[in-house]
Amino acid sequence: MTNWPAPLTNIINEFKECFDRMERYELLFEYADKLPHELQTENWTEQNRVKGCQSEAHVECKLDEEGGFQIHGAADANLVQGLIAILAIGVDGLPPSQVASLSPNFVDEMDVKASLTPSRANGFLNMFEMIKNTAASMSKEA
Amino acid sequence: MEEIRSDFPILTRTMDGGRPLVYLDNAATTQKPRQVIEAMNSYYENTNSNVHRAVHTLAGEATEGYENARTEIAAYFGAPRDHLIFTSGTTEAINLVAYGWARANLSKGDVIVTTEMEHHADIVPWQILSKERGVEIRYIPLERDTLTLDMDAFEIAVSDANLVCVVHTSNVLGVRNDIETIIQLSKSNGNGGKGAFVMIDAAQAAPHERINFLEMNCDFLALSSHKMGGPTGIGGLFVRPEIMETMDPFITGGDMIETVTLEGSTFQKGPQKFEAGTPRIAEAFGWHAAVEWLSSFDMEEVHEHISNLARETAAKMSTIPGIQIYGRHDLESCSGVVSFLHEKIHAEDLAHLLDSGGFAVRTGHHCAQPLMEALGVSSTARISFWLYNTKEEANSFVEHLTSIVERFG
Repeated sequence: MTNWPAPLTNIINEFKECFDRMERYELLFEYADKLPHELQTENWTEQNRVKGCQSEAHVECKLDEEGGFQIHGAADANLVQGLIAILAIGVDGLPPSQVASLSPNFVDEMDVKASLTPSRANGFLNMFEMIKNTAASMSKEA
Repeated sequence: MEEIRSDFPILTRTMDGGRPLVYLDNAATTQKPRQVIEAMNSYYENTNSNVHRAVHTLAGEATEGYENARTEIAAYFGAPRDHLIFTSGTTEAINLVAYGWARANLSKGDVIVTTEMEHHADIVPWQILSKERGVEIRYIPLERDTLTLDMDAFEIAVSDANLVCVVHTSNVLGVRNDIETIIQLSKSNGNGGKGAFVMIDAAQAAPHERINFLEMNCDFLALSSHKMGGPTGIGGLFVRPEIMETMDPFITGGDMIETVTLEGSTFQKGPQKFEAGTPRIAEAFGWHAAVEWLSSFDMEEVHEHISNLARETAAKMSTIPGIQIYGRHDLESCSGVVSFLHEKIHAEDLAHLLDSGGFAVRTGHHCAQPLMEALGVSSTARISFWLYNTKEEANSFVEHLTSIVERFG
C-alpha cells in the first residue's frame, strides 16, 4: 500500500467505508463544497481549463507564503469539483517535490475510478498530470 | 411487449448492484434485435467475401446478399434500388450532398436555407462550402415560445433558396418539423419559383415512422441504420437517378470506377459511383435484417407507443421540483426524446447518478450547439425511448430521478 499524505489517507479511508456507488457520489458532492481554494468563474481561462473533461473544469497551482503547494480550482459539475477538492485538500501545503512524486492510484483505492466514465477518468488523469508537472517545475525553481 | 423485448439479448443485462438495465439512450443508438446480430454472424460464419469482383461461390453469395439488401432497404423506404447510395451513416450522407452535389451545382451568390435546430452534421458541411464557394447560408430560427421552426421566416428565406436542408425530427426537442409543408414550399416558392432542392435529415425519424422517399418528394434523404435497430457503420442517401447523374464522386478509388488508365478514369453509373473501396457488407446484411424485423410492426402503433411514453414521462418529470423540460411533448407528432435539466444538479452529474441506478441516459450538447444557444443552455440531459421501452421502465426512471433530486438537489 502506498504511503499517501495524511489528509489523503483520511479521505481514502472515508471512501472505503461507503456502502455503495451512490454513497461515494454523495461523499464526492460533500467534498465539492469543501474546496479549499475556489477558482472564481471570472478567473476561468482557456489556459487553466482541464482538457478531456465533458464538463467545464479549471485548475491553477500556486505556492503559499511558506512555499507549500496549493491547488486552486473549480468545476461546473459537482463530481468533478469533488475530485478537485480531494486532490487540493490531499496535497495542500506539501512541498512541490512531494506532489511531483504522487501516484494517481489513490482514486482506485477510493473505489471512485470505477464509477467514472472514461472521459471523466481521462479528465482526472489529465488534471493530475498537469498538477504533477507544475509541481515538478516549481520544485526545480525552488 | 415481452415478445419484442425477448428479441434483444442486451435488455436482460444487469448493471451495478444487480439492477436491470434501463436503456434510455435510443436517440444516440438503438439496441439490436437478435435477428440483426444473427444475420451479421451468419454472414461472417458462412458467406464472408468481397463483393462485385471475384467469381467464386462465396463472392457471388456476398454480392447477391449485399445487393439484395440494397433492394429491400430501398423498398422499405419506398424507392427503387438505384436510388440508394450506401454511406457510413447520416453524417457521410449529408457530406456526400455537400461534396458531391453542392460543389458541382452551387456557386457564389447561391443560397442554402437550413435551421437552428440542426445537428452539427447538417451545419458544418454547409459552413465549409460557404467558405470555399461563397454560398450564403440562412438559418431559420427556432420560435422560443413554441420550440418549433419560425415558418414565416422560412417562407421569406426560401424564396431565392437553391438548397433547403432541414432535420425531420429534432434529436434534442423531439419536435417533428412540418416536413410536408417545408418540402412543398421549397418546391413551389424556392429559387424564384423554379423550386429549390431539398435535403431531409431523417436520422431520428426512421425509428419512428415509415418514410417513403418518393412520396416525400424531397431530393436527398439521409439516414442511419443504427438508429433503427441496424448496425453502426452504415446508412444511406436516397437520391433520384437524374440528380445522381449531376453529382461528382466524393470518395474515389476501387469499386467505383469503370476503367482506369494512366491518363484518366471513368466511373460506374448509379449508386456504385459513390461507394469507393470495399463496402460495408456485413453491415448491409444487418441493416437488411433490421428493416425486415421492423416491417413486422405497424409503425403508427410504434410511434404512438413511443410518443405516449415520452409525453407521460415528461409530464411526470415536470412535477419534480427543479426539473425543467425542453421540448413539445403535447404535440401528437413528438418523438421519444425528452431533454431536461435540474436547476442545481449538473446534467453530467445527473447522468452519473442515474447510471448508478442502471439508467442509460445521455448528456451534453447532443451535437446541436446552435440549438443549445437558442435554448439558453450549454447542455441538457436526455432520455429517449424506443419500441422496447415499457411504462414500468419509464415509471422507475421517474422514481429514481425523484430520489436523486431529493438526495442531491
